[in-house]
Amino acid sequence: MLETKDLTKQYEDGLLALDHLSLKVDPGEIFCMFGANGAGKTTAINLLLGFILPTEGTAIIEGVDVVQEPLRSKEYISYVSENVMLYGNFSAFQNLDYFSKLAGKRNLRKSDYAEVMERVGLQKEAHDMRIKNYSKGMRQKLGIAVAILKDAPNLILDEPTSGLDPKSGQEFLELLLELKEKGKTIFISSHDIFRAKYIADRVGFMRQGQLVMMKTSGELRGEDLNELYLQYMHKHANEE
Amino acid sequence: MLRDIIKKEIQDTIMSPRFVFTFLLCTILILLAVYTGINNYQAELKEHSAAIALNKKNLESQQGYQQLAGLGTKVNRKPQVLSTIVSGVWEAVGRVATVNIAFDPNMAESKYSSNPIFAVFGPLDLSFIVKIVLSLFAILFTYDAIVGEKERGTLKLALSNKVPRDRLILGKAIGGFISLLIPLVIPVVIGMLLLMVYPNISLTGEDWIRILLILFVFLLYLSVFFTLGLFVSARTSRSSTSFLLLLFIWVTFVTVIPKAAVMIAGQIKPIPSVHEITAQKDAYLQEIQKEAFAARTEYFKNNPAPSRDEAEARKKWEEDIRKWAEDLQQELTSKIDERNASIERDYQAKMQQQQRLAVNLSRISPTSAMMFGAMSLARTGVNEHERFLSSVRMYKPIFTKWINEKMMQGNIFGDQPEKPDLSNMPQHEFIPEGLGDSFKRVLPDVILMIFLIILFFVGAYVSFLRYDVR
Repeated sequence: MLETKDLTKQYEDGLLALDHLSLKVDPGEIFCMFGANGAGKTTAINLLLGFILPTEGTAIIEGVDVVQEPLRSKEYISYVSENVMLYGNFSAFQNLDYFSKLAGKRNLRKSDYAEVMERVGLQKEAHDMRIKNYSKGMRQKLGIAVAILKDAPNLILDEPTSGLDPKSGQEFLELLLELKEKGKTIFISSHDIFRAKYIADRVGFMRQGQLVMMKTSGELRGEDLNELYLQYMHKHANEE
Repeated sequence: MLRDIIKKEIQDTIMSPRFVFTFLLCTILILLAVYTGINNYQAELKEHSAAIALNKKNLESQQGYQQLAGLGTKVNRKPQVLSTIVSGVWEAVGRVATVNIAFDPNMAESKYSSNPIFAVFGPLDLSFIVKIVLSLFAILFTYDAIVGEKERGTLKLALSNKVPRDRLILGKAIGGFISLLIPLVIPVVIGMLLLMVYPNISLTGEDWIRILLILFVFLLYLSVFFTLGLFVSARTSRSSTSFLLLLFIWVTFVTVIPKAAVMIAGQIKPIPSVHEITAQKDAYLQEIQKEAFAARTEYFKNNPAPSRDEAEARKKWEEDIRKWAEDLQQELTSKIDERNASIERDYQAKMQQQQRLAVNLSRISPTSAMMFGAMSLARTGVNEHERFLSSVRMYKPIFTKWINEKMMQGNIFGDQPEKPDLSNMPQHEFIPEGLGDSFKRVLPDVILMIFLIILFFVGAYVSFLRYDVR
């Protein structure tokens, strides 16, 4: 379970990057957060991961306050960043092995890594390849594999489908649905409205640090999400 | 977890192209430096033996003590075996000093004076490789240690796990340092093996201890740049900025500060030039010569020679003159020696003040600390040169006394001179600085480098704890 209560981040220069975000994502739920660049999506993720400290409010992961117990809270999060680079001189196996050990998974074998890599759509030939020879999409898949291996109850993904071809993107969505069925809490920051419509239980729109709209999948049925997004952004721009 | 981070760091470095490049270059340069050092040392040894033989031949060919006194004897400096790895100042200073009754001895005939091309670039020894090349490699290994991982996104990924930041920086430091040592250890070990097997290179137990200490000083020096690299990497947000900043610091430490320190010391504590000193000594010598001439005139005036018919009286007169001349010679030579010693002491005192100031100013740079430390341990530094010169100057009055006695015992009235008997000629002796004294001398430099290592590492540690990984 992932929760924020009036989570706020204001920088020293006065910029209000996140403005009192209150949000709860339950186990077995997929929440997608949309917004323009600079809307506050990544700030929210950085606060949940403890990379920056909030000015106000709290971020709670599985009941653990991120600020009070930063290390413990990370036990419960798997994270996939927007640009997955990993260690270029290492093979996929070596990268998975290292990050799994950092995640505390010390008893995994090569076959476990191979299985996960196949699950995310990486061909056998790519398993021993050095990452510097991987395409962006392949690195993205490997990043997802790292997150899956950690097997944390919460998944935070920052633009996870960027760089994925349509087939890979579809496979990824199916994977997320599988994880959702297993009871994982999934928080996605994305621009990919098209795919979000098929998997999200709820969507939220961020604008200038504020969560300006939230809709459930039921409320979204029959509505054009893309149209809704543009309309909402445009409406708020006019109001200003 | 720490072990995993260290292992990853080592593996990541070893598999990188920069490691392969570093390893190859280190191997070539270190082995070349040791090989060159060995060859230079063997050439110097050969030259030393030839110079001693030539000196002996020249002394033996003199027809009388008078000629021997004018020619003097040559004291040749024996090359230090550890100049194979740290050549120090010994190629720049002279290798031989002429000791005669007239002039103060000074070292002359340096390698540079006989072949100035060597002075253009300096020697290619192990200390040079460490000072310039390996310190640059230390920067190459560390400039993106933190900031590079941030740019790649791997830092964020690592810290999204339950990994304490202090564990991560410690693991990176240890792993990175081990990775830096790997391309050094193998060629250094091979280089030391070369020293062991090469003919005419004889190393005592003390020499091996000195070598180990020199390698330790080198290690400290590289650690300074390593921790500095970590520190700067943890303070910047772009690897290009980190690299440029480190390069600037490197240039300042390695080239600017050592040279500027000497210049500044020269301005603050100027010393008379060699020509001024020589002029002072020459002026006094002329005074003494005038005094000698006046004393001689006075003596012959007061002690006219008996006629040749008075054989007994004549014989006694000649003996008296001989004794008077010997006493006068001793007295005047003592006066010259004392005056020269006084001028020299004054000059040395000023020079040492200037040197101490230059050394202390330059110690801001770890490069200077490393060079002073290595030279002290190899006995190729300024201090050992001064000790040797001092021993030659202490030998001069001993030689002068002996030659004066011999000259006065000889015939001073123009008959056939006596061929010199060199069997009882006093010999110059020099005891190189002991290990204990060398160690005491190197201690401040070691402490300074350890201080810098701690300072930079703590800086890196604290900076990383607050580092913005986004």
